[in-house]
Amino acid sequence: MAIVNSIPVRPKKSSSSWLAWLGLVPFILFGLAFELVPLLTTIRSSLTSKGNLTLEFYRQAMDPLFLRSFGNTIKLSATTALLGVVFGTLVAYAIISTKSKVVRNGLTALADVTTNFGGAPLAFAFIVILGSTGIITILFKQIGIHLYPAFRIYSISGLTIAYLYFQMPLMILLIIPSLLGLKREWHEAAVNLGASDFQYWTRVALPILFPALVSGFLLLFANSFGAYATAWTLTGSDVDLITIRIAALIRGEVQLAPELADALSILSLLIMSACVIGYMWLTNRAKKVRA
Amino acid sequence: MKTRDAWRILVITLFLLFMIVPVIATLLFSFSTRWDRSLWPEGWTLNWWIAVTSHKAFLLTLKNSFIASFATMFCLLVLVTPTAYWMELRVPKGKPIVELISSFSFGVPGVVLALALIRFYSKIPLPIINHPTILVAACMVLSLPFMYRPVANALEAIDFRVLTEAAQSMGANGWVILTRVIIPNIMSGIISGCLLVFSTVFTEYTLTNLLVGTRFKTFPIYLVEFTRQDGRQASALAVISFVVAWITSLLIIWATSKGGREATHIIGR
Repeated sequence: MAIVNSIPVRPKKSSSSWLAWLGLVPFILFGLAFELVPLLTTIRSSLTSKGNLTLEFYRQAMDPLFLRSFGNTIKLSATTALLGVVFGTLVAYAIISTKSKVVRNGLTALADVTTNFGGAPLAFAFIVILGSTGIITILFKQIGIHLYPAFRIYSISGLTIAYLYFQMPLMILLIIPSLLGLKREWHEAAVNLGASDFQYWTRVALPILFPALVSGFLLLFANSFGAYATAWTLTGSDVDLITIRIAALIRGEVQLAPELADALSILSLLIMSACVIGYMWLTNRAKKVRA
Repeated sequence: MKTRDAWRILVITLFLLFMIVPVIATLLFSFSTRWDRSLWPEGWTLNWWIAVTSHKAFLLTLKNSFIASFATMFCLLVLVTPTAYWMELRVPKGKPIVELISSFSFGVPGVVLALALIRFYSKIPLPIINHPTILVAACMVLSLPFMYRPVANALEAIDFRVLTEAAQSMGANGWVILTRVIIPNIMSGIISGCLLVFSTVFTEYTLTNLLVGTRFKTFPIYLVEFTRQDGRQASALAVISFVVAWITSLLIIWATSKGGREATHIIGR
């Protein structure tokens, strides 16, 4: 038991603080080995050609072909984020204003479960209901509405619907705390001063919720921007998204300079991390305001 | 008041339909003989289930997914728990660094993480490229926030300083304090973390596909293969995925309701 006693029982804070950092070494090493260094390698590789610093690969990444992929991805992310924010907030408000506690908790749990869904099984479920012989498609046909060929589940509009399946629940979970923060007295005060419900929402509630809605939008945007599995299962290479292009470059299906894939990756990384950083900044600020 | 209730019921009903119809439809589809020209399945059968579960690859991919999930879970547990405890206790200044490493995967698309790992590890002479090891490492990065957050929250919720000092005064060493005092007290956080990691890795497709591909086939890889070949059998696999996801999620809700509740969700599909 000599080892036991050799461990300092109550170290003085000042003298041992740098030694204490040693305890974090395994974790920091992990971060270096599998996060920072691989990322820096990719950044360096995207910026060098035969040992020289160059922006050549970023110039190539600005080709109309890739700009279209970026454009599609941004459009898809913005649409699903916006619809997710609107519908998610609406449903969240319906949930918190329900009197039954069982219904409230049940629906929150459902949002909790479904926001973790995504990828292949989700994509497949949407083929089952909205594919060319899907159940909803048949249902619409029976009442005289022909979804196909104007609509296809294997397209950007199909993807938008599928993405909403995990975007909406995420927004519900994000916005519920802010909705609960709206005090009943504010509504009463507004009504006493002669405001209609509509005026209360547009002049009081929505301005208060605005930062939370924006931060929700940013996180949903990032969530959809980085998504790959759902899109790939649903549409294969039919839909031109930047993640699908990068994946094709990795698998070597398309023969191009590997450094070009690096440049495209770094560009998508910048867009996605800007959204996440914006989200974190806004939520931290909201926390400080509340405190 | 009446119209407000009607509005709420309408919104909630539409939401429920949207969330539940795809799952139920997939379930019915997997048991129906034919369901592509009528409103209701034309008949019922177990054929698709029997066919898909009798492939040799079925059990193999299921096994591989469990191996990847549990390996990731175990490695993260060993890496995160002592680090989080040590940091809170002795190196509070290290918190921003630990949190930055933990939330890395939130800001990085899966395809970019895969590309960066391939770029770096194909250059250095370490034989982990194309090997399940690199997949586990990548899954660790991906699910690090889901292990770190619940564990850190659970630690903040208990008085770990007092517990540590009490144990020290009775002569317990660091290892004993961690395993016998701290860990039992943050069990609910650890369980939620493990379950979140499990459900992330079990359904992981992007990293698996790009890092190991067909060399280490997991369940989602098998499922996607079938969606291209045979939709009927794919539907049975999708149902299994849904069931696993639902069970883990319900367990997470149960575990978090035991401890301090904190919204934890998986983002970045």
